[in-house]
Amino acid sequence: MNELIHLGPFDLAVAAVLVVAAGCISLAMRLDIEKRLALSALRTVVQLGLVGLILERVFAIRRPIFVVLILAVMIFFAGREAARRSTRRYPGIRFDAWLAMAATCLIVGTLVTQVVVGVKPWYDPQYVIPLLGMILGNSLTGVSLCLERFLEHLSARKHEVELMLAFGATRGEALAGPMRAAVRTGMIPVTNMMAAAGIVALPGMMTGQILAGAPPMQAVAYQIVIMFMLAGANAIGSMIIASAAARRLVAADGRLRSERLGE
Amino acid sequence: MSVILRCGPLEARDGEGRELYRGVVVEILEGKLTLLKGPSGSGKTTLLRQLVGLNATEGCVRRLAGRDYTQKILPCWRGAVTLLMQDSPVLPGTIEHNLRFPFSCRSAEGRLFDDERAAELLDIVGLGGIPMDRSAGALSGGERHRLALVRGLLWSPSILVADEPLSGLDTVRAQRCFDLLLEFAHRPGRAVLCVLHDAVLGRGTDRTLNLVNGRLEAG
Repeated sequence: MNELIHLGPFDLAVAAVLVVAAGCISLAMRLDIEKRLALSALRTVVQLGLVGLILERVFAIRRPIFVVLILAVMIFFAGREAARRSTRRYPGIRFDAWLAMAATCLIVGTLVTQVVVGVKPWYDPQYVIPLLGMILGNSLTGVSLCLERFLEHLSARKHEVELMLAFGATRGEALAGPMRAAVRTGMIPVTNMMAAAGIVALPGMMTGQILAGAPPMQAVAYQIVIMFMLAGANAIGSMIIASAAARRLVAADGRLRSERLGE
Repeated sequence: MSVILRCGPLEARDGEGRELYRGVVVEILEGKLTLLKGPSGSGKTTLLRQLVGLNATEGCVRRLAGRDYTQKILPCWRGAVTLLMQDSPVLPGTIEHNLRFPFSCRSAEGRLFDDERAAELLDIVGLGGIPMDRSAGALSGGERHRLALVRGLLWSPSILVADEPLSGLDTVRAQRCFDLLLEFAHRPGRAVLCVLHDAVLGRGTDRTLNLVNGRLEAG
């Protein structure tokens, strides 16, 4: 394997010139995003820096309890973010998003790390944390899109749902259409990503592995696993969040509880 | 004259928390078209929606033709006491899909879609000339009301509950649609409860219920 080229503080400072350039463009064109850009850049540095420090510690200690703890924190924030991205909300939305993220993480994460990759020991942070991080980060997009679409349907097209309920359709029958549409929406980004993989751009993880000196075919094998993993994660996550939201917003006796749905 | 449906007690409040009505028990007579009247804002739509179980109710007992329907089997109740909703919403898709969809629900319980009767009813209400594969979303408000009425009649529930089913129709068409409702109501084992915006049409009804000052009175 080739020697890695290490990046030092000086290299990062040079890279910062590019963000400053983006800021200058914003000022020159009055885009009015320079403040947000600066804040976001700062957050990137601070957040990633902290993550790096924590990961170094966790990698050094290699204790399962820390790995599980970190995963729990990641799931917590992913669920919170998924719920926050929705423009409509209902009581319990955060719990449902959290449930969707946790279940996805558990099902897909276990399958990939323990069966496909076969990580030994089972909690090896070098594999478990980045892989589950990718599952969470990606299914977060799918889950929030799915949720947004589903709630939009129940709000803007509630009369269609009630029309079916009025003719005796059960909750499942009345919501089958909206749920299908929502889960399909949640799956769009990952389907697009799989279709375009390698043609439009090299996927981030594969690029990372190649930069880190891995043989391209190995990087490709990992990337394929990742893509399939993300497809599964998005489908499962979307299905869970749509079912959970459905149960909260339509009573078991088939009554739409629009009053629970707010902006 | 026997009571075929009994539902209550019902109570409701408006958006600002003011009481609309309380302790209301709805009784519908078999083979009759009952008109529900009341000043606007008195809660007629809410009452109809509570009756069919689309709005929440508490401690309400629903009984139809000697059978009690618990909260658990509300979908079953709605299949038998079916509401034609105000503004007659349509599902995305064709006119045919909009007529047929209830028949693919579990609540259909063996009911079959009658193509001949559908064509006949569409002709009577003046929708006969529109191709069945046309998108229902393109229909005008009046056409939607007529489509909803045809669907309701084809579905043929025990009780047809209609919330302003004839609004937006000209006098001749409204009368023709009203006659269909009347004819349906007069069949054995059937009844109609409806709210009409037009008092003139209401002259042909068999019975009137007035929702006034939070109470339901037979008029």
